[in-house]
Amino acid sequence: MHADQQLKESLREVGDLKAALDEHAIVAITDPQGKITYVNDKFCAISKYAREELIGQDHRIINSRHHPSTFFKELWSTIGRGRVWHGEIQNRAKDGSEYWVDTTIVPFLDDQGRPRQYVAIRADITERKRAEQKLQATLAEVGDLKRALDEHAIVAITNPQGKITYVNDKFCAISKYAREELIGQDHRIINSGYHPPEFIRELWSTIGRGQTWHGEIRNRAKDGSLYWVDTTIVPFLDEQGRPRQYVAIRADITERKRAEAEILDLNTQLEQRVARRTAELELANKELEAFSYSVSHDLRAPLRTLDGFSQAVIEDHGALLPPEGLRYLNTIRTAAQRMGALIDDLLTFSRLSRQPLTRETIDLTAQVRGVVEELNAAQAGRTVAIEMGDLPMARGDFGLTRQVWMNLLSNAYKYSGRVPHPKVEIGSLVENDEVVYYVRDNGTGFDMRYVGKLFGVFQRLHRVEEFPGTGVGLAIVQRIVHRHGGRVWAQGVVNQGATFFFTLGEGPRA
Amino acid sequence: MSLTEAIDLLLVEDSPHDAELVVRAMRRSRPSVRIGVVRDGVEALDYVFGEGTHAQRGTVELPRLILLDLKLPRIDGLEVLRRLKSDPVTQRIFVVMLTSSREPRDIEETYRLGVNSYVVKPVSYERLMMAVQEIGSYWLALNQGLGAET
Repeated sequence: MHADQQLKESLREVGDLKAALDEHAIVAITDPQGKITYVNDKFCAISKYAREELIGQDHRIINSRHHPSTFFKELWSTIGRGRVWHGEIQNRAKDGSEYWVDTTIVPFLDDQGRPRQYVAIRADITERKRAEQKLQATLAEVGDLKRALDEHAIVAITNPQGKITYVNDKFCAISKYAREELIGQDHRIINSGYHPPEFIRELWSTIGRGQTWHGEIRNRAKDGSLYWVDTTIVPFLDEQGRPRQYVAIRADITERKRAEAEILDLNTQLEQRVARRTAELELANKELEAFSYSVSHDLRAPLRTLDGFSQAVIEDHGALLPPEGLRYLNTIRTAAQRMGALIDDLLTFSRLSRQPLTRETIDLTAQVRGVVEELNAAQAGRTVAIEMGDLPMARGDFGLTRQVWMNLLSNAYKYSGRVPHPKVEIGSLVENDEVVYYVRDNGTGFDMRYVGKLFGVFQRLHRVEEFPGTGVGLAIVQRIVHRHGGRVWAQGVVNQGATFFFTLGEGPRA
Repeated sequence: MSLTEAIDLLLVEDSPHDAELVVRAMRRSRPSVRIGVVRDGVEALDYVFGEGTHAQRGTVELPRLILLDLKLPRIDGLEVLRRLKSDPVTQRIFVVMLTSSREPRDIEETYRLGVNSYVVKPVSYERLMMAVQEIGSYWLALNQGLGAET
């Protein structure tokens, strides 16, 4: 009874253990030939095979081909020698899905010591493997990123106390310190003393609050050389929200800073130069103005005296003078009046540079007609044939452009005064998208060898007795045209007339 | 010039030569016009306001026309004009600038101060004669003024 009883007890105990094991683990039993002889419910559940599909099958039915053949050879040789095998296996379920099992295979031996059967106990570790794989991938990626960052940037890590805990090669290269000289040191080791204490305080207070700081810092290397780094410091916080460490990423911007400083310096120099020149110019203009004013006032008065009293002599005492004496007095008067005219023209010319220029739309046809009428009125009895071509509307200063036409047309009248059929042509043409105005006469013309002298002040190509004039008219034309941003030029042939061209700097025509 | 005689025209001109030519021109065209000449701005103001060397001028009537140069010793023409035109009595006197200056800013400023006319003094004798003659015939004959108070 005892033996029976004991056997019964043992069997029940084994039954209980088996039930508990089936609840917990994936269990399979295989015969020495590798055929499955038993699987529990959990095995069926995870492999998604029915029991009948498994029994009598080889374990290859769930082989996922993940492991190399040597892996299974090693497994079989271990258990074949009667030793327990432990490892992790990836299997494939019936539906193709893969799962990982932590596996222990215990061989049970017969009386001859040969494996009788193998009991495999497995635990599903698919989730853990998946997490492990993910972690590994993440770690690999982080490693890649770190390598890339080290290639690109100057990196240092600092603890909350401000001690350097990590520097990369680029940090050592730019700071010219060895890694051992930096680790454990304060960042003051590379402080250049350039930034004020408030700057450094603001930096620490920003990252101390857990905020990223970005800025440009000038540092000093071990050899005393200075370098600029564009710096981003990112604080990393612990669970309490306090900075655990600071990662600083920097880029060398020394070259950029040097270029910036150079540009700034050049700009400052340029501004100073401009300011100086402007002041000089203003002073020169003021002096010129004072000079002109005094010329206009003081130089004319003696001329009036010369002319006036010469005439007074002629009027009051003319009867007492021989004809030669009267001629002398008249010569004095002519000279005085000519000098008066020269002064007037010179003043007009100098005023042109100071007078503001106001652009407006001008009906050139009407403007030129007005000038022609004025000139005709002054021509006693002489007729000049006028040929007027198309003149477009123009943009310019009305008074000044009128002066241009007046000077050019009065020249044309004057220098065609000796030909039997004087003719003056006025017109415009378009050249390289620019309107060119011209005045042409069939008069005395000029020698192109002297064309360079035409527009100079007091430059004349004719004697006063031939054609009267002061030699300022064309200089005034040139000054006005230049002030408009235009050009003026001339063509002439002796005794065959002259043509004067000008533009008004209006830009290309639409 | 006599300080107590009434005049029609006061010429303010620092150049004795110019003054002589202007007086000559005026006498030629309007012999009856009584002319007084002063040489600078101070004398001009003293004459008109009866101060300084002209303090004893008393109640002699004011000139009807003043020919005023711009550039004058001591007080210049602009200041004389400003003082004349800001006094209710003397602002009735016609003031014609007779100056060598053609500077736009002089012309603008004198008109702003209320000048009646602005004539640029010509260099040529004939033109000066003509200018003075026309000033006389317009401002002393043709133009109707308010009349200076006595």
